[in-house]
Amino acid sequence: MGAGTADPDEVLVSRAGHGDPAAIQALIARKLPRVLALAQRMLGDRAEAEDVAQEAMLRVWRQAPKWKPGKARFDTWLHRVALNLCYDRLRRTREIAMAEPPDRPDPTPDAVAGLQTAELGRRVEAALQRLPVRQREAIVLCHYQELTNIEAAALMEVSVEALESLLSRGRRGLRTALADVAAEG
Amino acid sequence: MDPKMTAERFAALADAYGAEPHRWPVAERAAAEAFLREQGVAAERILFSARMLDAALDASPAPYPSADLHDRVAALAARAGLRPRPRRPLVKSPLAWASGVGWAAACAAGLLAGVNVTSQLAADAAMDAVLYQAALSGPDDTEVLG
Repeated sequence: MGAGTADPDEVLVSRAGHGDPAAIQALIARKLPRVLALAQRMLGDRAEAEDVAQEAMLRVWRQAPKWKPGKARFDTWLHRVALNLCYDRLRRTREIAMAEPPDRPDPTPDAVAGLQTAELGRRVEAALQRLPVRQREAIVLCHYQELTNIEAAALMEVSVEALESLLSRGRRGLRTALADVAAEG
Repeated sequence: MDPKMTAERFAALADAYGAEPHRWPVAERAAAEAFLREQGVAAERILFSARMLDAALDASPAPYPSADLHDRVAALAARAGLRPRPRRPLVKSPLAWASGVGWAAACAAGLLAGVNVTSQLAADAAMDAVLYQAALSGPDDTEVLG
C-alpha cells in the first residue's frame, strides 16, 4: 500500500480491535453488506452467502486487535478472506469449470416482454451464475465491488491483462445471455 | 499514463470495464475521458453496448443483511473477545479518591461561603435595624444589637 493510498478503514479497525462498541457497529454497517453482496454474487445462494459473510466477519473480529496497517488495505484483506471462503464452498458443492464453456443462450429467451426491473435483476443474477467462475469473479470484483483493476488482479492472482481478458469474456457472455433484453431496450 | 488513446483501446476498455469512467483503469482514465470528449458521438457509439450491459448489471440488486444476520455478527464480536474495557470501580482508583477529596473540599468551601454569606446578611440586617432605631430616636442601640 503506497503512502498516497491511506487505508480508510484503519482507524475504525483499530478502535474495534480495542472493543469500542460504536466502532464495532460501524464496521458491521460498512463491511457486512459488502461481504454479503460479494458472497451472494459468487455463490448465487442466500443462505450460503450469509454463512460466508458471518464467517468472514468472525475473522474480522479476530484480526482487528492484531491488525497492522500499511501492509494491505483492510478491505482488500477482507475480500481475500471472503473469496477464499466462497471458493471453499464452490469446491465442496460443485465442479469449478475453469475451462471456457461455449456461450449458451439464456434458456428463457421468450420471457422478455414487459420485463420489470426485478425480473431483469433475476435474469442478470442467473446469467452471472452461469458464467465460468473466474469470469464471474472478475465482474463481481470490478463492477459490483468497484475494486480497481490492480486490486482485483492482485486478489485473483493474475496479471492485469489476464483480468481484462476475463472481464471482456465475461461481459460478452452476459451480453449474449441477455441479448433479448438488449433488443427490447 | 497513455499519452494517446486509440479507438481500439477505448473499445477494449469499454468491453472489459464498462462505460463508466470511474471503473476504467486509473492509468488510462484521463486519456480515455479526453478521447470521449474529443470524439463525442463516435465515442458514445462505442460505449453504447457497454452502457446497456452496465444498466442490466445494475438491475441486479445488492442483497441487504437481515437484522438477524446483523445481530449474529455483533454477537460474534463479543465471542471473539472484543468487549469494551470495563471501568474500574471508583473505590479502587486512586484518582477516585482524589476526586472524592476534591468534592469534599468543594462542599466545605460551599458550606463556608454559605455561612459567610448568611453571617453577612445577618449583620446587614442588624445594621439596618440600628439605623432604623437611630432614626426613631427611641431606645439605645444595645437594645437592638444585644
